[in-house]
Amino acid sequence: MRSPVLTVFRKELLEVSRDRRTLFFMIVMPLLLIPLLIQVTTDFVADAKKEAASATLDYVVFGAEALPGLESALAAAPGFSAATLDDPAEIQAAVTDERIDLALVVQPSASGGQHVVELHYNNAPISSKVAPRTKAVLDGLGAELRRTQLEGLGIVDPQVQQAVLEPVLMVPRGTAPMREVLGERIGGMLPYMFIIFCFLGAMYPAIDLAAGEKERGTLETLLLAPIPRHQLVLGKFLVVFTAGVVAALLTIVGLGGWLAWRGSELGGDLGAVVTSIGATDLALIAAMLVPTAAIFAALLLGISIYAKSFKEAQSYIAPLNMLVVLPAFLAMLPGVELDWKTASIPITNISLAIKELIKGTMDYSMLVAILGSSTLLAGALLWVSTWWFGREDVLFRQ
Amino acid sequence: MLEVLGLCKSFPLAKPRRARSSPPPGPPDPREDGRTFHAIRDIAFTAEAGSIVGLLGPNGAGKTTLLRVLSTALRPSSGTATFDGVDIVRDPLAVRRRLGFLSGNTGLYGRLTPREMLAYFGGLHGLSGPVLRERIDELVALMRMGDYADRRNDTLSAGMKQKVSIARTLVHDPAIVVFDEPTTGLDVAAAETILRLVERCRDQGKTVLLSTHHMHEVARVCDHVVVIHQGRLCFEGDVAQLRERGGSQALDRALLSIVGAGEGEVADA
Repeated sequence: MRSPVLTVFRKELLEVSRDRRTLFFMIVMPLLLIPLLIQVTTDFVADAKKEAASATLDYVVFGAEALPGLESALAAAPGFSAATLDDPAEIQAAVTDERIDLALVVQPSASGGQHVVELHYNNAPISSKVAPRTKAVLDGLGAELRRTQLEGLGIVDPQVQQAVLEPVLMVPRGTAPMREVLGERIGGMLPYMFIIFCFLGAMYPAIDLAAGEKERGTLETLLLAPIPRHQLVLGKFLVVFTAGVVAALLTIVGLGGWLAWRGSELGGDLGAVVTSIGATDLALIAAMLVPTAAIFAALLLGISIYAKSFKEAQSYIAPLNMLVVLPAFLAMLPGVELDWKTASIPITNISLAIKELIKGTMDYSMLVAILGSSTLLAGALLWVSTWWFGREDVLFRQ
Repeated sequence: MLEVLGLCKSFPLAKPRRARSSPPPGPPDPREDGRTFHAIRDIAFTAEAGSIVGLLGPNGAGKTTLLRVLSTALRPSSGTATFDGVDIVRDPLAVRRRLGFLSGNTGLYGRLTPREMLAYFGGLHGLSGPVLRERIDELVALMRMGDYADRRNDTLSAGMKQKVSIARTLVHDPAIVVFDEPTTGLDVAAAETILRLVERCRDQGKTVLLSTHHMHEVARVCDHVVVIHQGRLCFEGDVAQLRERGGSQALDRALLSIVGAGEGEVADA
């Protein structure tokens, strides 16, 4: 005779595996859609950057007579094309209408004084290269003027010129390994994705296995089976939990697959960071997602059994999304580090621990504490869920 | 044998109803006492093995609550019932092992086949291996489900689904079977199949409790009848006694008379 928990688990797993929505959120999205989205996004960003760097910039200059050499420097710079504009008052409208990309207004200066050049351009696009490209031209012109003036003062040697201009030079030498530096920058993003997909993977099975059963009229029949209520809940919980774990692991596999396929195109440092994450770290990252999936499974199942229908369960779970997103998002914020205080915030602690594992700076005593506390939380939520399943006013809510 | 002993079930009323300042239109429901709704009160009757007991009463009389309490889905507020001596309060799991429950609105797992569904419920009742397989084959043959036993439930017609539900109810060969409006929404042929099955259960010595609104079904199969109205038992006896007490050979008229529904309460067609 098979254990009732196993009987419920096998049946629910069979049913869930035949549900297209669940399969989409549990398998297709993390495994295929995520790599595809990343690929499309990185291609799009790369194309936008490339276009911004190589596009011809139409410019106008006002007050060029105050800075001799400016017009010729612009004319000689690749990717710059002179345009005409009658009045400086039209600059903003011309930039807005995209008749010109930039306007330079040279302020009159006292003899021998500093030349001030105003750059007018559309600074809204993040990928805009107008300012750095124009600055490169002006820096070149400035260097030439500086060299001429220093030579006029009798300082001819370029090294002496440099020493006069910058008598004290700071050269930063970071001691942190590249893995830690890049892990700090991208390490918050990855656990965010793992956690979100873990939640999404568990969501539909949880709704289907509790509120769905109520709506279809199968729950009452199931409640009359001669098995203790906690075994019934445990069987259902294990299926939702499995779905969450599978979704999270497939997200890791999907990202890993994408990095293996296209990671080399990301540049040497990032590629080095990715390859430096060892099997042990990956196993620990996966281990962190196990209690996460258990927390989500217990929470979602408890909410789902309260709802009278699939639709009602969805309306309760939609705001819960935010409760998951926000703590996971916290780990992406600059300055938020894993310490004993943040280690006590559910989900945020998981997110920060994964970030530390990616960086290679995990304090393993803290890791054990987070795993332990998250497992306890999942256990407590499962207990609440089981208690909830035993309440007549929840099961037969009118 | 089923013995129902002073069974009561109450529910707390929802807060808005409790706080309502003006009373609802119509006569007050005698089952409400301000804070509590007494769905059933002091229900007591006996159903012998090898007999079919009809459970009658208008909508909202408390039949479904009574059946839910008897089937251990709800816990009684007071009183109890025994199935072959097993108490529903003290040992609900043992009661469930003896009980088969079929409701007219029982759903099926749409993504499972009838065979898989029978295997699931058989497994939950402790059956496994060759014994379970043989039992499933027997039920598939009995219910003539061979053509669709391996098709998904969500592709079946209403009659086919009801047959699957019946097979599910009987998979563990229960000693007591409760049918809650099993023929609702079915065509004549499907309803006839179910009635024959109800009779077959009696012939096998099972205790059968049949809740129905169809008086021709009562006349045909019930050996004993209990009538519930406003949560209380208002008649217990056989069909002949029901006619006599209701003062009409027509069972529907007799029932209306017993539950006290005058002509004014029956809307004109």
